[in-house]
Amino acid sequence: MAWTEHDVVRSELRWAAAVSGFVVIIFGLTLFAALALHRNPPSNLERIDPKTLHLTGEFTEPNLGTRVETNGRVTVRMVATQFAFVPQCIVVPEAQEVTLRMSSADVIHGILVTGTNVNTMVVPGYVSQVHTVFQRGGDLLMPCHEFCGFGHSQMYARVRVVPRDQFRPDAQGRVSCGP
Amino acid sequence: MVRNRNLVLAHLWLAFAVFALAAILGVWQMWVRSPLHAPYADPENYFRSVTAHGTAMAYVLTTLFVMGYGYFVAESSLERRLPWQGAAWAGYMLAVVGTVMAVVTVLSGNASVLYTFYPPLTGSPFYYIGLVLVVAGSWVWCAVMFVAMAQWKRENPGVAVPLAMFATVANAVMWAWTTVGVAAELLFQVIPAAFGWTETIDVGMSRTLFSWTLHAIVYFWLFPAYIAFYTMAPAAAGGRLYSETMGRLSFILLLLYSLPVGLHHLFMDPEQSTGFKFLQSFLTALVTVPTLLTVFTISASFEIAGRLNGGTGLFGWIAKLPWHRPMVLATGLAFFMLWFGGGGGLINMSYGMNAMVHNTSWVTAHFHLIFGGTVVIMYFAIAYEIWPVLVGRSPDAVNLAYQRRQLWLWAVGMMVMTLPWHWLGLNGQWRRVAHFDYSDPLIAWWGPWVVVSLIGGVMLLASAFLFVWNLLRLHARRVPAEVVPVGMRYAQPLYPILRIPAALNGFGLWNALLLLLMVAAYAWPIAQFIAYPSPGTIVHHLDRAG
Amino acid sequence: MSDIPASAENRWRAWSILAVIGAIIIGGGLGFLVVPLVQGAAGGVDAYTAICRAFGILPGSPARPTPPSQANPYPVTQVAWTEATINAIYGADRSTGAALAAQRCIACHTVEGNTPDPTIPRNAGQSRFAIYKQLHDYRSGARKNETMTPLVADLDDKAIVDLAAYYGRLVRGAIDPLRGGPFVGVEIENLVANGDIARNLPPCVSCHGVKAGGPIETPTLTSQYPQYIEAQLKAFASGERHNDIYHRMRSVASKLTPSEMQLLAIYYSGK
Repeated sequence: MAWTEHDVVRSELRWAAAVSGFVVIIFGLTLFAALALHRNPPSNLERIDPKTLHLTGEFTEPNLGTRVETNGRVTVRMVATQFAFVPQCIVVPEAQEVTLRMSSADVIHGILVTGTNVNTMVVPGYVSQVHTVFQRGGDLLMPCHEFCGFGHSQMYARVRVVPRDQFRPDAQGRVSCGP
Repeated sequence: MVRNRNLVLAHLWLAFAVFALAAILGVWQMWVRSPLHAPYADPENYFRSVTAHGTAMAYVLTTLFVMGYGYFVAESSLERRLPWQGAAWAGYMLAVVGTVMAVVTVLSGNASVLYTFYPPLTGSPFYYIGLVLVVAGSWVWCAVMFVAMAQWKRENPGVAVPLAMFATVANAVMWAWTTVGVAAELLFQVIPAAFGWTETIDVGMSRTLFSWTLHAIVYFWLFPAYIAFYTMAPAAAGGRLYSETMGRLSFILLLLYSLPVGLHHLFMDPEQSTGFKFLQSFLTALVTVPTLLTVFTISASFEIAGRLNGGTGLFGWIAKLPWHRPMVLATGLAFFMLWFGGGGGLINMSYGMNAMVHNTSWVTAHFHLIFGGTVVIMYFAIAYEIWPVLVGRSPDAVNLAYQRRQLWLWAVGMMVMTLPWHWLGLNGQWRRVAHFDYSDPLIAWWGPWVVVSLIGGVMLLASAFLFVWNLLRLHARRVPAEVVPVGMRYAQPLYPILRIPAALNGFGLWNALLLLLMVAAYAWPIAQFIAYPSPGTIVHHLDRAG
Repeated sequence: MSDIPASAENRWRAWSILAVIGAIIIGGGLGFLVVPLVQGAAGGVDAYTAICRAFGILPGSPARPTPPSQANPYPVTQVAWTEATINAIYGADRSTGAALAAQRCIACHTVEGNTPDPTIPRNAGQSRFAIYKQLHDYRSGARKNETMTPLVADLDDKAIVDLAAYYGRLVRGAIDPLRGGPFVGVEIENLVANGDIARNLPPCVSCHGVKAGGPIETPTLTSQYPQYIEAQLKAFASGERHNDIYHRMRSVASKLTPSEMQLLAIYYSGK
């Protein structure tokens, strides 16, 4: 086995090419998701004042929860605060697009919904927005997944995914988990 | 001839002492999270412990180790006394004072903000000032490294700087660049808020500034391990470094592409745009390349050693490697863990998959495996390798056996702890939680796996204690080695670089390109907070009632 | 030792610069131009908006139009913790507050704030921020009480701030009750320190502890009359009292059993 310097360089370059190709493929998946599936990470950049979140605008208490807008869209508005989500239980329809809009009244929180790829930080000063379709029915867990203080471990909401025929909005278009 | 042995030992002992104590906290934390009943397990204690463990492992163990090892490399590879020794000791004292300040404030319950300290949760200003002092001490280290290399180059014009020193200075350059983010966040935002000089804080800006530091800091931790891979492991294996040029290139690529990628920690954040997340995701893909190059180059170096030792066939040389040497064993174990940890990293960097794992236990398991596993096992190996030079004592066969056992225990314990942890994260187990509701059917099946992780953690604790014990044994050996090693035997490249281009021997070009990269990647993501000032979020103080 | 030819040096420099600029152009070109243009075209967002959103100059996603938000505001309190409000409280005039209190408050709350009537809350040493919020809520109608509402109806903001300063201590958050309190059972102590995860209940100390870093208007509970605490818990549970921002107390109180409310009140009343 005689490895000349030329052999060394050539083998390294071959490996570098192979490795770069591998990385390109992996990155290509992200590009595919962006271009073909039009998927982006949640980057809403919509600014809002956390100090007056409860006073004005769409995140005052009676507006929170699931609502079917007049144009038929299903929008869920939630607020994250120390140490509960408001509301603590939401109802969403199965197999229909849902827009989740969330903001924080105080510190950094975050959510994921178990069994789905809904995952976003909830940062005070911003409205986080996620569009998703819940493919399967059932009760899902929406824990707060970023440290927000000593009550962080007990902070979660429940997401009830119901079949379309059981998803019945009231006169104002609202659907809630009930008492 | 390493003259400043006490300087090096001071740094390393502080690092390892803090490490061993923090390991105890880690085990207790895993116990609290499990279905087993742990003592003192309320949230205040738990988050105090998480802050202490994180601060110790991520800021103290790492910075002090890198500094101490850097001083060692500067003297041993350049074969030259360290310049500015007084400054080096002053830097150490800064780090000691800073460590004490930070640790005392955390343990007294005044800074349970976690080592990522995301505002508006704000602890005692002295916690942050303590960290700033540690960083200030490390900046002194950076200056000493720059001066040492500059002086050597003046005395040896046109000669290639020894690879170990070149990489160490690359690390210092990277550290200087990356600490700007967290220093800006602390000095301009968090410390004023902690003192009460301002009632509100711009949370988006602070998260972004912190993200600037967040990726390159892990490469700062990683560089010593890679320096050992390139400059110590091939020699320990009895071979040669396959390609020194690729080694230099890898370190340069790590320097360039570990910095402008911090937004990949903010993929799920609403305050940054898709375009910048995409650009930094692309640059993150590029930073995987030097690690993959390293795997090839070091494997090839080991193949040389194996074949020189009589190995034949496609894989027969592997068995012929001197696995009884701790440095060789550690490298093998590190590479094994690198497959899992590195693979996890590739998943984290891909948006869609990141959405599945963000802020779940997957993330915690990932960095314990890749840092606690691959990198820290090399810290152990480096310590075992340089301790004889530092204390003038060589290990005997019994010492070496215990060193090997300690390394195996660490690797096995790390796999036992982190593999179930990854799996639970993938199933939605979220992070930074003191208690899980194991009575909930969705969660109940996690319990046994958390206990498995706890067992792994106990193994790691035993290994940590054994590591400290092994070092103490070397200090205590009565009989000095007959041949006291006076310097390090660094690995020789297969083909030494006879004519070194300036690009591979200095950092002028790379600093300029880094400036370009950082401006492209971070200028607007930070400037947007100044262009569109945030209404501000009220500060929440965790160190006082008023 | 050796001189490397300038052409080799330049080659290294040139390739490096090219590679880095290339990386920026490819990554940036894809992320700021190609992806938003493709996504915008498919999602009904015009090119200019899509690219501005990709840069982060405009809010929203480059892939779809921002959904309209139809909502009217219905606040439960008028208090907003702005920097101005907080600084006003820090700069309050206690002597003015004392004069006001002498006219309106001491009949029920006494001069020191240690009321004899257990249904009237003790104010002594209470958080100024907590007192401010309650007075403000009485005035705005967010919280209703037959006695309090008429008494504060004509007070201006400065008067409320000064009154809060007179009775209150400058405390954001409460005194830690774990340092005292009569023993009312392990379950209650567990509830205070650990909450109850099955019921979605955070620990009481996570807001009412001294270093909790919880909401700024959190009142001090220690040494408060148990009858008063219990009455407030019941009022929150039924929704009769609803001036807590974002259900912070309603969502907690509604999950407690009557026995727990009683025992918690006793626990917190201890000194």
